[in-house]
Amino acid sequence: MPTLDIDKIKQEVVDSQIWRAVFRGGVWSDTPRDRQAHISGNVWLHLHPAKVRPRALKWTYTWGLGGLSFALFLLLALSGVLLMFYYRPVPGLAFRDIKDLTYAVSMGRFLRNLHRWAAQAMVVAVIAHMVRVFLTGAYKRPREFNWSVGVLLLTLTLFLSFTGYLLPWDQLAFWAVTVGTNMAGATPLLGNSGPFSGLLGMHVNNDLRFVMLGGTSVGANTLLRFYVLHTIAVPLLVGILLILHFWRVRKDSFSAAPYQANEAKVDVWPNLVKREYIAAVALVIFIMFWAITKSAPLETIADPNVTMNPEKAPWYFAGLQEMLVYFDPWLAGVLVPNLIIVGLMAVPFIDTNPKGVGYYAWKERPFAITMFLLGVVMWFSLMAMGVFFRGPNYAWYWPWESWWTFKAAPPPTWNVFGPHGQAVLPLALGVPVLGGLFLAAMLLPKLIQRDLNGWKVLGGVLLATAALGAVGAGMGKFTGTQVGFLLFFAGMTTWFGFVMPQRHIRRLDWARYLVTMALVVSTMGILLKMGARLCFNIKYVMTVPVVSMNI
Amino acid sequence: MSYRKLFYVLNFLLLGVFVWAVVKDNDAEWKTYQRTYYEKMATYLDAQAGQQKDPAQAAKLRAQADEYRRHPLAIKQIITDGLGRYDRCITCHVGMDEYENPGMTTPFKTQPYAGHPDIAGLVKAHPFEKFGCTVCHEGQGLATTVADAHGWVTNWDRPMLTGVHIQGSCVKCHGDFRTLKGAEAAAKGYDLFHQHGCLGCHSIDGVGGTISVDLGDIADKPIPRIAPYNFLRVTIDGKHLEEKDWKIQNWILGHLVDDPEYVTPNDPFAEDNAEPIAPSPMPDFSKELTRDQADDIVAYLMGMTKVEEDEIPYRYHVAAPPEKEPRFASAKAHGKYVFEKYGCAGCHGVDAVAGRRRFNALGPGQKDYDPKMTKAELFAEMEKGREPTLPDLMSGYDHDELVAKIEQGVPPTAAKKWDPNGPLPVVYMPAWKGKISKKELDDLATWLLSTAKQQNLGF
Repeated sequence: MPTLDIDKIKQEVVDSQIWRAVFRGGVWSDTPRDRQAHISGNVWLHLHPAKVRPRALKWTYTWGLGGLSFALFLLLALSGVLLMFYYRPVPGLAFRDIKDLTYAVSMGRFLRNLHRWAAQAMVVAVIAHMVRVFLTGAYKRPREFNWSVGVLLLTLTLFLSFTGYLLPWDQLAFWAVTVGTNMAGATPLLGNSGPFSGLLGMHVNNDLRFVMLGGTSVGANTLLRFYVLHTIAVPLLVGILLILHFWRVRKDSFSAAPYQANEAKVDVWPNLVKREYIAAVALVIFIMFWAITKSAPLETIADPNVTMNPEKAPWYFAGLQEMLVYFDPWLAGVLVPNLIIVGLMAVPFIDTNPKGVGYYAWKERPFAITMFLLGVVMWFSLMAMGVFFRGPNYAWYWPWESWWTFKAAPPPTWNVFGPHGQAVLPLALGVPVLGGLFLAAMLLPKLIQRDLNGWKVLGGVLLATAALGAVGAGMGKFTGTQVGFLLFFAGMTTWFGFVMPQRHIRRLDWARYLVTMALVVSTMGILLKMGARLCFNIKYVMTVPVVSMNI
Repeated sequence: MSYRKLFYVLNFLLLGVFVWAVVKDNDAEWKTYQRTYYEKMATYLDAQAGQQKDPAQAAKLRAQADEYRRHPLAIKQIITDGLGRYDRCITCHVGMDEYENPGMTTPFKTQPYAGHPDIAGLVKAHPFEKFGCTVCHEGQGLATTVADAHGWVTNWDRPMLTGVHIQGSCVKCHGDFRTLKGAEAAAKGYDLFHQHGCLGCHSIDGVGGTISVDLGDIADKPIPRIAPYNFLRVTIDGKHLEEKDWKIQNWILGHLVDDPEYVTPNDPFAEDNAEPIAPSPMPDFSKELTRDQADDIVAYLMGMTKVEEDEIPYRYHVAAPPEKEPRFASAKAHGKYVFEKYGCAGCHGVDAVAGRRRFNALGPGQKDYDPKMTKAELFAEMEKGREPTLPDLMSGYDHDELVAKIEQGVPPTAAKKWDPNGPLPVVYMPAWKGKISKKELDDLATWLLSTAKQQNLGF
């Protein structure tokens, strides 16, 4: 009776011509050579190095966020291709195809939910990845350029999500995209309602918004454009940048974790690959669970004649929409997001602090980390305000208040500097006053070249503000809430806009100092303007109607 | 847990979640109904076979029953090329699938297993392959779950028409619906609409008063245009509506069985706005109309759709012969008809017996305005404002004066407010010059003067 010799069969299969044609290398015997060959001999796996330092493998270092973002990208590509089999980007058909997916296609509802929730998870994962990389200082030399590529990838992730938002062609999609694209119409010079738009002869039918929409309002052309961008153009671009991103990670020794003397490297197969696999599978289980238990929203079919109230942008742009309360669209929708993107890309070039590369180090990089986290907290706070606290007519509704109750109209607003209307002070005064304040905010921290006691400065400002508030309240001009707001915004801007830069970056060279301060002062400007609007109903600090520029 | 264990656990979990997704997708609501239908048919045929004397016939019935038991489940739909609709209703209502069940009658009484009523008349005239389901019944034809398909859910503006409201669908195509068999409720609704003077304020396709909205496309009114605040106040049969029932038919019904002043209170004391705004000036018809009559009017108005009229090709429409003006023996009878024709009853009451409410105008029995009154007291007095009760006034006019008054109307700004700080009364007497022919005007004046109460002479 012949015995079943497994090893012999294995040997024969592996040595056969077919196996050899597909997989190189001999029988797996788990030697270091085998493991390295497994990585370097595989076109997909060889984006990894063959060996990696153990510090790079720690869960608490990376949280696997980059890999998870990529896993979500793959999941989205897969589910997206399957959805494309059923979807036609034409207004009459798009909505019906979504209904078909929901009601008639096998697994159609699951597929759509999966795609939708994975897209939202990817936005979260990519932002979290960026925060992690910042906190561990992994953007510093020699990784500056890869950080910039990463910022572009974040932007493209948001753009992918935004273009996909329109495709169901329901009211939610239509009006969210209307809100989003109207901001493009406010671009300075290039948008029909932006400042200086007259210089280039911009109208509603030839400006930047028109290019995005393929028309003067969201319509059939927009749907086709967004579909092509969503399914072909942007994914291709993301793919190209991803290759670059991964290649750089690989070339820059895979991890920024600092070297230790006599550190023994470990094999990537299986030490890294198993971690990646487990993180990805856990995530896919989570997304699938989510897709089974919660359906993606679908409202009534898009109708340009029926405006929804309130009309909200997708949640990741809700912060920008919330900023529209305080700023004109050219600032909130164009300048601020561009400043965020450019500012983030500039970070590795203005941060000269050599410490804190490859580990969490708040104490060694107090300025960088505080300022970055302030930005992140502001971004998410604005987002939360837009998503959770805004109701019909974009009025403020607490989460426990019903949207079905009436809210009285908000109090009238006024402008500080400007030529006409409710303005109090003339424009000729506004330019030097605001310019002077801006210059002072920009330069003072560097000009005072000695150690100040930050707590005393803060205390002084708060005391002065409180005195002003007390006088105002005594005269019946301010309410307690207004004084509270005033103290909060004065304290915030003093600490983050003056004390911190004066303490930490006054010794930077002028070029880096000015770029950094421009970002800091812009952030403080947003805070101050929010305070001005919330406390004193100031619509514009300065308005120049002739070039439609309002601040 | 070691990575190896985690690897196995997670892989099995992944498989489990995937299987769950497949099972959940496979466990569709419609399958239960389709399967039950086939089982009920099989049981019914077996019972028939048991009573059958002829063994050959019995075997045949049993074979049919077995076929039903083995029947594969599938989504069924009627694709109507002409209407561009895809109706999946017969997925559950299998008995109404012509191919499955050519007779389209079933032995079952309850839905979704019952057949369609009036096969010989209604269904023969509207073959399903040409009409589908939703063009008459409304609802969401593409959906395959009970709630979504019947459309009584949020995010679907045209839910299934229930009760007599479905006769609105006759009105969509049948210009002759007033004489159409089966559309009696809609026809009655049309008559009530005119008798009670709705046309005085609401025009239909441009014919009628301009005081309120045109109702020629009222069935298309998008639900987001109606404030939730108002929908919350609609009360039908003593019950407030659930959010899923915030639909246009309930909005219209709510205005007929409930006081519109309560549904749309607006802001008479300028609490949320710079100027006071009077509540809805629509009269309270809840005392005048029975619940059935209100439903009849809703049935008629649910046919007032432009969206669907445009979607339905012209060959589906049935034109009505032009209506002739009726002839009358006397000028008085004609005058009464004219009063009805132009919707005068909307303000002056049916047969001109009593003027209707006119918020914050002067009216009988009002106390004198006193700024110290509470809001509730002020509101109660403002509510007593009335349109003129015509028989009380007629003794003050001769024929020519009355004709001139009707021709000129009374502009809204001429209204006298009871509360000088309150809202301007909304409704007013339009100028009818050029809108009513001379003969009609003369006869209207003749009839009105004949209603005068003589005892008021001298005031």
